[in-house]
Amino acid sequence: MKREHGTIRNYVIGFVLSLVFTLIPYFLAVNHLLIGLVLFITILAFALVQAGIQLLFFLHLGRERNPRWQSGFLMVTAGGLFVVTVGTSWILYHLHTNMAPTAEALQLAQDEGIAQIGDKKTGACDETYTVHTVTIKQNIANPSHIDARLCDEIVFTNDDNTSRDIAFGAPNKPVPYGGVNDLPLAKGQSQMLILNQTGTQSFHDHLNDEATGDFAVTP
Amino acid sequence: MAEALTPHQAHEEAANERATFGFWVYLMTDLLMFSILFAAYSVLHGNTLGGASPRQLFSQPVALTETLILLTSSFTNGIGMYRAREGKKNQMLVWFGITFLLGLSFLGLEIREFTKFFHEGHTLTSSGFLSSFFVLVGTHGLHITSGLLWMGTTLGFVMARGLTPGLVRKLSLLSLFWHFLDIVWIFIFTIVYLQALV
Amino acid sequence: MNWEHIILGNRLNMDALPHEWFTIGGTFGFILLPIAAVLLLGKIKGWKWLWGEWFTSVDPKRIGIMYMIVAGFMLLRGGLDALMLWLQQALGSSNMPGFLGVQHGYLSADHFQQIVTAHGNIMVFFVAMAFIFGLVNFIVPLQIGARDLAFPFLNTLGFWLYVAGVLMVNMFFAVGGQYAATGWLAIAPLQGKMFSPGVGVDYWIWSLQISGVGTTIAAINFIVTIIKMRAPGMSMWKLPLFTWGSLCSMCMAVAVFPLLTATLFLSFFDRYLGTHFFTIAGGGDPMLYTSMIWMWGHPEVYILVLPAFGVFGEVVSVFSRKPIASYVTAVLGMIGVSSLALSVWVHHFFTMGSGADVNAFFGLMSMVIAIPTAVLMYVWIATLYKGRIRFSVPMLWFLGFVWTFTIGGVSGVMLGIPPVDFQLHNSLFLVAHFHSNVVGGVLFGIFCGINYWFPKFAGFRLNERIGRNAFWFWIVGFSLSFIPMYILGLMGATRRLDHYDASTGWQPLYVVMLIGGLTIAIGVALQLAQILASVIERKRLADTTGDPWDGRTLEWSTASPVPEYNFTHIPTVSTRDAFWEMKKKALAKQKFEDIHAVKNTSAGVWISAFAFLAGFGFVWEITWLWVVSLAAIVISIVMKAFNEDSEYVIPAADVKKMEAERLAHKPKAPTAAEADSAEDMSVWELVKWLMAYAMEVVRTKRWRKL
Repeated sequence: MKREHGTIRNYVIGFVLSLVFTLIPYFLAVNHLLIGLVLFITILAFALVQAGIQLLFFLHLGRERNPRWQSGFLMVTAGGLFVVTVGTSWILYHLHTNMAPTAEALQLAQDEGIAQIGDKKTGACDETYTVHTVTIKQNIANPSHIDARLCDEIVFTNDDNTSRDIAFGAPNKPVPYGGVNDLPLAKGQSQMLILNQTGTQSFHDHLNDEATGDFAVTP
Repeated sequence: MAEALTPHQAHEEAANERATFGFWVYLMTDLLMFSILFAAYSVLHGNTLGGASPRQLFSQPVALTETLILLTSSFTNGIGMYRAREGKKNQMLVWFGITFLLGLSFLGLEIREFTKFFHEGHTLTSSGFLSSFFVLVGTHGLHITSGLLWMGTTLGFVMARGLTPGLVRKLSLLSLFWHFLDIVWIFIFTIVYLQALV
Repeated sequence: MNWEHIILGNRLNMDALPHEWFTIGGTFGFILLPIAAVLLLGKIKGWKWLWGEWFTSVDPKRIGIMYMIVAGFMLLRGGLDALMLWLQQALGSSNMPGFLGVQHGYLSADHFQQIVTAHGNIMVFFVAMAFIFGLVNFIVPLQIGARDLAFPFLNTLGFWLYVAGVLMVNMFFAVGGQYAATGWLAIAPLQGKMFSPGVGVDYWIWSLQISGVGTTIAAINFIVTIIKMRAPGMSMWKLPLFTWGSLCSMCMAVAVFPLLTATLFLSFFDRYLGTHFFTIAGGGDPMLYTSMIWMWGHPEVYILVLPAFGVFGEVVSVFSRKPIASYVTAVLGMIGVSSLALSVWVHHFFTMGSGADVNAFFGLMSMVIAIPTAVLMYVWIATLYKGRIRFSVPMLWFLGFVWTFTIGGVSGVMLGIPPVDFQLHNSLFLVAHFHSNVVGGVLFGIFCGINYWFPKFAGFRLNERIGRNAFWFWIVGFSLSFIPMYILGLMGATRRLDHYDASTGWQPLYVVMLIGGLTIAIGVALQLAQILASVIERKRLADTTGDPWDGRTLEWSTASPVPEYNFTHIPTVSTRDAFWEMKKKALAKQKFEDIHAVKNTSAGVWISAFAFLAGFGFVWEITWLWVVSLAAIVISIVMKAFNEDSEYVIPAADVKKMEAERLAHKPKAPTAAEADSAEDMSVWELVKWLMAYAMEVVRTKRWRKL
């Protein structure tokens, strides 16, 4: 039998070694002898070594005649495997960390109706329930208090002859709500606000510091 | 040290070498295809959407059993191949037969695991985690199935035609394929099943 | 039991048949017309000839020519798509009326996006890849002194899978009426069922998947051939540059096409099974798709260009009448580009948000990969230095490449800088960049190679006069079309724009681009004219020596056209530029040996036909169709694999007889008077000849003899 085909002894040694390298990481993991990143690196190391054992003893790697094209291609493939798996994980991890929803992202997500990206909820609502109406007439918001549930909507209508700009928070310290900084209303215009955050929030017409009110959102 | 080969033998030898090398390159492409599935699993395995997590879902003893069965079948496959090169047809049939049965049991265990998950409501379409799990492990299972089909037909032809050089070559390629499926399984066992405990 | 639903699947109904002007036109032009052409060919030359000599052939020379013919046809389709896009953009200014019932230009927005997508897919997969594979199939075995590829059956299988892909990408004209409107790479989540519910994206998936498998198979074949079937004495460091370029390209192909296969499967599962790989809900991650597809997509462009680099390396050497300035540098440059190809892909989505760390690494690698590319350019230009340059058509294409590809390369380095890319991402600047590289590099390389090796394909060289005309129309047209595109990009115009506001001031530049496009169209017409004129004058243009350019590599040692067995005797090689050495020494007496040949096989045709049917079943969700087709594929493979009767031997005595017969029928060399009597036919002379021929056919009613 040619040298590159190996002997029965090779197969037996490879089999026994593989058994060992399978059982050790199994017991380490199942009995919680190691946990977390240390466990992950350990079991991965055992897997890589066992792959090497099988390549050596079952596939007789390295015993081919020169030039060793098969070994060469395998090494390049191993490099490719590394780039694909580690590269993908690295890029996507950074992506998810950087692109986690912020106020602006929340507004964009709400505009598109995207409730979840990957495993993270954006906080946007993908469907709305009750529609409440707040009409601003003669500088007064009516009703000035709304009790709503999460993912309801409020439609602000401007019935006055002047433009208004609904902002949230105190008149001198506006804050964004649900990613929305403000809702400009020309005379006669209406705009909708989706209530995707719980809690109480006050609103006011930022242009004139009038027409105040608040809404309470419960889950 | 080797006697000079006749032109016909040299021709066969060269053909064997090309077939082995070509199949090896194909196996490299298969590994790279699996790498995408592993990459998808790495990224998506946390997306359980509040459903079952890997730790809750997987039975480690079953995974270990599957691993040991496949490892043993890789070993018996190697012995069978050794006998085939020696020209010992009957011994080779026995060892490959054992490999076939082990492969079938592996597949059986895996199908049982999948159907159990399905009946409990954890399907392909339930979440990103489950989609990537079923596709990664399922693709490996499909490869095992193809290998068994290949094994069955080749052994059938051996019984009909005897152990011709062409059939020995086919068995050696199948052998490569089977060993490689076990190597891929090592990583599935580690990155899918054992990683659930990390 | 709703039988109609079971037989036709859930999506197929009468609406799917063509009923709009462009689907009807497409059905005629791209499905019925080619089928009619093939049927006509069969009728004139005989069905046995068509089936036995061509369709079931395992000869890489035949397969190579078939690749190039199909690729040429698809080039016309892709080019027509481009003209439609140029016209729409020139008409798409907001201060102009719309035509044909649309608001801007003459194409609806959705239709425009479908054409954009089709143009990209066709040009990359079905034109460029196919031309390259055609050239490699024909030339590489000749260059390494082999008679065939390592796996002849896989060669024909790879070709027919490509044809199945071509049919699939044209099929929507006849059945379905829509293609993907997603851009050539169909980014998620637009490719998902939620946002693209029609069959367009499914056609996209399966045309690429089927031909992609064919590509992977062919790449494995080429690698094993180059590594295991070289002539005695031809070590790796004596390989011709075209073979090196092809080897590097095919190694990249086997590395990254599996990534495409896997990614397309995941897209398919999302659409067909409802999995959540790339969906926006359900735990999917659309950005995962972008990363995966570009992991394939970037190396793909290097796969296309490396063989072209190889062509240029050989042509610049032969037409400067000196060896390449530095063989080792050229080879290392090609290996360098290939090694780095898998380290740059994020530069296609710097703006997606991976952040500065990731962008910095990939931006750096993108600039690093420009180094071996530039080194190659320097080696070629250095070869010109102190050479005795002949400005034949292949050399013209090389010079055109230097101009166009360098512009593209420089713009590419600019785009590789993340902050610059944030301004220019997905602008027309990007579009101009990649067209400069793909057209200037890959397409010009293909034209160069075809003009260079045509005597080997056909036994006569191509008309130089019309060839020069075609080149000039191409280079002027390309510059007219794409230099304004760079400017438009810098002015803020984005890609895939079907209309724009008049206040941007873009329209004049779009009109210049259209004129450039029409100029290119004339160039293409001239290339077709060139081929026609060459066929007409083939006796005068005949290559009687087999070495019309005073070449340096082994393929020029064979006769033109190349006989079935390539070489009567596999030469033993001792240097680079093996044929140059052989010419200097006295040629050895011709020897004959037994030749092992492989029988023709129809298995490639059948398996690909079943693959097409399975794909069609997946597109239209016709379960029984894909189940039956997949089973048929498995059965065909088993039948072929266990058929041990696929080879035969041609004894040396028969080879000697075949050689003698070939020499007896060889066209006599034209007399000095004949050869130099006139220049090659000009375009005007061709037109006059065609008119005379047409009148002759009408007068003698020749069609009655068909």
